Amino acid sequence: MSVSHPATTDKLPEQRGGDAQRPARSAPPSWLPALRRPRWKVAGGLTGVAVLALFVRTWQIDAFGFNSDEAVYAGQAASLAGNPRYTEYFPVFRAHPMLVQALLSPFFRAGEVDVAGRLVVVALGVLTVLAVYPLGARLYTRRVGLIAALLLAVMPYHVVVTRQVLLDGPMVLLATLTLYCMVRFVQRQDALWYVATAAMLGLTMLAKETSIVLAGSVYAFLALTPGVRRPVRATLLALPVLALVFATHPISQALAGRTETGRNYLVWQLFRRPNHPMSFYLENVPSSIGLLVLLAAFGGLWWARRQRSWRETLLLSWIAVPVVFFQLWPVKGFQYLLPVVVPVAVLAARALAVLPVPARVAAVPRRVMPRARVHLVVRLVAVATVALSLLGPCWRAVSQQGGAHFLAGSGGVPGGREAGRWLTDHTPDGSVILTLGPSMSNIIRYYGQRQSYGLSVSPNPLHRNPSYVALNNPDGWLRNNNLHYIVWDSFSARRSTFFADRLATLVRRYHGRIVHTEYVGGADASGRAVPVPVIIIYEVRP
Amino acid sequence: MTRRIVSVLRRRAGRLVAVAVLLALSVVTATSAAASAAPATPATPTTPIENVVFLMQENHTFDNYFGTRPGVDGIPKGVCMPMRADLPEPCVKPFHIGKLGAIDLDHSADAFAQQYNGGRMNGFVEGVSRAGKDGRMAMAYYDDRDLPYYWNLADEYVLFDRFFSSSHSGSIRNHMYRVTGGPGAAGKAETIPATGWGNIPTIFDRLEAAGISWKFYVQNYDPTITFRSRVEEEDIDRGAQVIWVPLLGYARYVDDPRLFSKIVDLDEYYADAARGDLPAVSFIAPAGNSEHPPGNIGAGQNLVRALLTQLMRSPEWSSSAFIWSYDDWGGWYDHVKPPKVDQYGYGFRVPALLVSPYARRGRVDSTTLDFTSVLKFIEVNWRLKPLASRDAKANTFLDAFDFDAPPRPGVLLSAERTTVALRRPDPRPVYGSYATALLLVGALVGAAAVRGRRRSR
Repeated sequence: MSVSHPATTDKLPEQRGGDAQRPARSAPPSWLPALRRPRWKVAGGLTGVAVLALFVRTWQIDAFGFNSDEAVYAGQAASLAGNPRYTEYFPVFRAHPMLVQALLSPFFRAGEVDVAGRLVVVALGVLTVLAVYPLGARLYTRRVGLIAALLLAVMPYHVVVTRQVLLDGPMVLLATLTLYCMVRFVQRQDALWYVATAAMLGLTMLAKETSIVLAGSVYAFLALTPGVRRPVRATLLALPVLALVFATHPISQALAGRTETGRNYLVWQLFRRPNHPMSFYLENVPSSIGLLVLLAAFGGLWWARRQRSWRETLLLSWIAVPVVFFQLWPVKGFQYLLPVVVPVAVLAARALAVLPVPARVAAVPRRVMPRARVHLVVRLVAVATVALSLLGPCWRAVSQQGGAHFLAGSGGVPGGREAGRWLTDHTPDGSVILTLGPSMSNIIRYYGQRQSYGLSVSPNPLHRNPSYVALNNPDGWLRNNNLHYIVWDSFSARRSTFFADRLATLVRRYHGRIVHTEYVGGADASGRAVPVPVIIIYEVRP
Repeated sequence: MTRRIVSVLRRRAGRLVAVAVLLALSVVTATSAAASAAPATPATPTTPIENVVFLMQENHTFDNYFGTRPGVDGIPKGVCMPMRADLPEPCVKPFHIGKLGAIDLDHSADAFAQQYNGGRMNGFVEGVSRAGKDGRMAMAYYDDRDLPYYWNLADEYVLFDRFFSSSHSGSIRNHMYRVTGGPGAAGKAETIPATGWGNIPTIFDRLEAAGISWKFYVQNYDPTITFRSRVEEEDIDRGAQVIWVPLLGYARYVDDPRLFSKIVDLDEYYADAARGDLPAVSFIAPAGNSEHPPGNIGAGQNLVRALLTQLMRSPEWSSSAFIWSYDDWGGWYDHVKPPKVDQYGYGFRVPALLVSPYARRGRVDSTTLDFTSVLKFIEVNWRLKPLASRDAKANTFLDAFDFDAPPRPGVLLSAERTTVALRRPDPRPVYGSYATALLLVGALVGAAAVRGRRRSR
């Protein structure tokens, strides 16, 4: 096999002489002129990608109601907007900064809202897809930018997360802009872009404070790339700018009269027990990003290793630091690694754009097809293959009808919205609900407008999210008629058989009577379609 | 020929008419015979109320529970009850019971007479002291710290502040007024006759005759305890069941399996309410949750809360009325001199509340009422004849309802008086600070982009 056309890299304006990493300048590839098409063709391609991104992100977006995190963020947005349905159940300030919630709040001013909130996040997700294009084009070529945008448009990981009212989708948009600012700084060596990078990172942290880990990526990149100027003076300016932008969070809390929750939450997150095994990300994330995408990204790094430049170092830093950090951090969540999808997509696109074509394949007689055309066709087939390998799982993820199992952050909860609405319609105001865990409790509060408590929330403040209220004695609450309904759900029961058993005991002890059940489609041992109960509501009494 | 045909047709027609008349007569006769054997078709209520629930708790006065509540005829300012009725000093002012334990104050007819003191209403302390107890306790009162749920209910529904116990004596007579409109045994004796209450008619007789459903729900019901098996020594314990459920003092209710089967354990109330099978008239007698001093009033609140919770969750809530009161004053102070309506009553005021989807919100109803007013309401609602002169003359509490308004959905009120409301922070600093941050970052990026373009030129 021979590499037909290695990737090209630009030289930095102030690259030091004798840099071992400095790539040799090579001649532009033969296909590069073909890329320099009129802009409307690029615009057309981007529009197609955006339409595709929008389609898969909105398809059956209302099939299921909010999951727990969505309910909390939407509830915060609604409370901030003064929506009377939610002010009693969701405090404005809980754990995270409020940039996304503030952005969402105008859509949550009245009534029960879920689709509108999701559509806002979808729009931000599509903007992220579009933002990948200039990033890829500036780092490599327009073609790379376009392919990266296409890959991100149908990447199940990004699609699934940006269909939900979560902070991670908007955060990744801002992280992509931060990366873009960083690229501009490196290319221009303009300290203003460096300060703008810091400011944009501060904004990213206002979307979700865990994105502070990307500051580590910036540091790692600067440390590993001697060819890039390290602007010490600009750093002295950039860090205060970052702090000033992020200070919006505590300042807004203080001005609004609340200071405690954020600090408590941070302490708890730092010292809480692991919520998933170490293998969690390995089991869930690669398949969601796409194995062929990962193969292309890292395979491309291998076969184009001789052309390695600051670009790959920057992208790898943007991937490695979050991966290492969240792998080591005890708290794990499906969506936490989402910031890596953009650099992974760009690296994969870069690899596909310069895919080495075996000489045997390229040796088509010129009268049949010119050599450059052969390379183009091969690479187009490769891009189509990778994109289709994403589209299949993506389509399954957005069109599935739900099951009895649920991974937090992977979508809406089947039956949760319907159970909440049933409680609104069929239980008196003032009814108090005991759920198995805090997740269903949040959903019940959002859709049911009923006060609810999770049985599994620990009475020990060191072992619970400070946003949650524990019932020190649920048995006593039931005996004193302070709890009126018990809600069992298969999703929480699967995570904690201990508390599922405890809940069943309380149901028996307090004359539990099934008053409502939510089902999903399932199959019995013979494969026959049967309804599987996922949420059961019991009426209880002392 | 034509005439003959016409006459034949006439004869045949006459026979047909005769057969039809006979058939009609036989149908009418059969129908009327069946009607006389079975109860009459149940009368439809005259109001939207199709289910009445009447609970009787024990031994408190209105002032004892609600005397400090604003907007009611409560404890007058400056009251100081003399230790001895004939001497103004020393005296005891009403005081919050706090952590003092309630005691079972004397609440016999004699105690009433001493406390009433010929209408001077100044013997409350002495009446208890003479029984060898701490008379000052008669002046103790509870408030919303102790009765948060009841006070919350009073905010949302109807509180009666001129509801009197029917008899100025103890439980037996008052419970008989509750079901018969009369005192039961005449004269001074307040006991259950050894042969039972005989043929004194009850409201349940009227309901039976009218074909209207009813049940008597009894907490911790023991069907083996009736007037035949009860011994007076057990009054405070399980024997009180016969006092609080007067039907168990009737041979005809105890011996008739059909009637006896309508006296059931309170567990059935919850099941009936959940299914929407509550009878038209439900009477409830408590056991340990009766609030009878020195019992825990919190347990009584829990019972009422559980009963109301189930009723509000019932399909029948929208046509229900739940009323509860207290069978006598229990020896506690109440400042309102009870009207004298006959030789037995009234006794002192007792607390009474009405909870219904039609109850006026937060109303304090000052109509003069007693236990027979509930009988009167049932009689009016189902067009029944009065049982005795007392219920015939009693006022009803129809004004406490607003039948012009649609039924209100139930509200499960908190057992805490002040619910912790989340204070919504001022959103302006939030919007303002985040908008400022966005503008700042946007300006920086824009400036960098503009400078980059200029340089590239």
